[in-house]
Amino acid sequence: MTSSPDVKVEIRGLHKSFGNNEVLRGIDCVIHTGEVVCVIGPSGSGKSTFLRCINCLEEPTAGTVKVDGNNMDENAKNIDELREDVGMVFQHFNLFPHLSVMENLTIAPVLRKKMTEDEAKRVGMELLERVGLADKADAKPNSLSGGQKQRVAIARALAMKPGLMLFDEPTSALDPEMVGEVLDVMRQLAKEGMTMVVVTHEMGFARQVSDRVLFIDQGVIAEDGTPSDVFDHPKHERTKSFLNKVLEA
Amino acid sequence: MDFFGLLQESMPMLLQGLALTLELAFISLAIAMVIGIVASLMGMSKNPVLRAINAALVAVVRGTPLLVQGFFIYFGITGLLNIRISAFMAGTIALSLNAGGYLSEIFRGGIQAVDPGQREAARSLGLSARQTTWRIIIPQAVRICIPSVVNQWCITIKDTSIISVLGLAELTKAGQMIISRTYRSFEVWIMVGVMYFVVIWLLTLLARFVEKKVSLDD
Repeated sequence: MTSSPDVKVEIRGLHKSFGNNEVLRGIDCVIHTGEVVCVIGPSGSGKSTFLRCINCLEEPTAGTVKVDGNNMDENAKNIDELREDVGMVFQHFNLFPHLSVMENLTIAPVLRKKMTEDEAKRVGMELLERVGLADKADAKPNSLSGGQKQRVAIARALAMKPGLMLFDEPTSALDPEMVGEVLDVMRQLAKEGMTMVVVTHEMGFARQVSDRVLFIDQGVIAEDGTPSDVFDHPKHERTKSFLNKVLEA
Repeated sequence: MDFFGLLQESMPMLLQGLALTLELAFISLAIAMVIGIVASLMGMSKNPVLRAINAALVAVVRGTPLLVQGFFIYFGITGLLNIRISAFMAGTIALSLNAGGYLSEIFRGGIQAVDPGQREAARSLGLSARQTTWRIIIPQAVRICIPSVVNQWCITIKDTSIISVLGLAELTKAGQMIISRTYRSFEVWIMVGVMYFVVIWLLTLLARFVEKKVSLDD
């Protein structure tokens, strides 16, 4: 099956179990180039697992995930190259604490032979300027605040010049006053046309920034539509009750 | 003879003993580090045979006294195979295996203590499994391990005294020999104790310096 050129991610019949616990129960989904997709849903619904299957951090129990038409398979010879094009931002930042901020940005482009050391540093500096942290280039990650760490983590992922960015609850571990600075960076990225899949509890962000919202519940995509479809005219009872709960809070 | 006279008379022999102690400890620990690294990698391998070899080493080392291990190697194995090895060689083998077993557990613990998110972040950037292990996991595991490794070095340095029973004139044996000639037990054991203490103390200072140098905080 060949996909049309503007299909970035194609997921077919995706199932994922951990032992006897079936977390994803059959997901079909296509994400187009340039689309910003927010994934919402109750905790334990499988949102993060869904996201982690896209770059094969979790191996599907059944079904296929294709990025740019390539199978994301842990045993594929080119899995490392395929992952280079898929940036990921984690809830707990996962910066490399033994490296400086700049080294966090340059290690992957240099080791993967995408750039020379000098080139990587130049790109790294541009990215740090973009996220407003140029003055922290030589700092160690542990000296940064949560919001700063997450902005560095976004810059680190962008340093590989990915065509797709995955965000796994990027603001959930932040103090409330730092959520804004991270969302601003993501908003900017969306404006520049980056293809993004964002698992989030920030309903305001999902409504304003995304082109499409997926509501995942009990391991399936229960709702899939524009923000106004999902937030203002939800079709399913489950979506309504979830939105009532989170929007009341 | 006053204390200083005794000290002066004993010093050459004690220093010779200390030199042998340090030699025994240094060679044994160098080999033990290699054994520890290899065994810990075996312990984390997918291959059940390799895992079993590591588990057996750790179980035997932990489950039997070093004294018994030394006797077994020096007298037991050599007797069975009808070969002769020097007491120094037997002591080195016993200490290497002993410390190697403990270090294996220390290294495994250190690697497993690195947050799994580190591996995920590295792989998500496209780093290969090997690049991730050597550039991301090991440097952090080493930092986690340093205090426990230094602890094991201290223990092994002192454990060389147990090897004196094989007839090796290291520091403890040297002390015993001086006492059998002078009957000055109290003073000589103080001298011997101070010498061990100073070595360990210097090592601890060095370790603290290194630890600070590679600390993950600014």
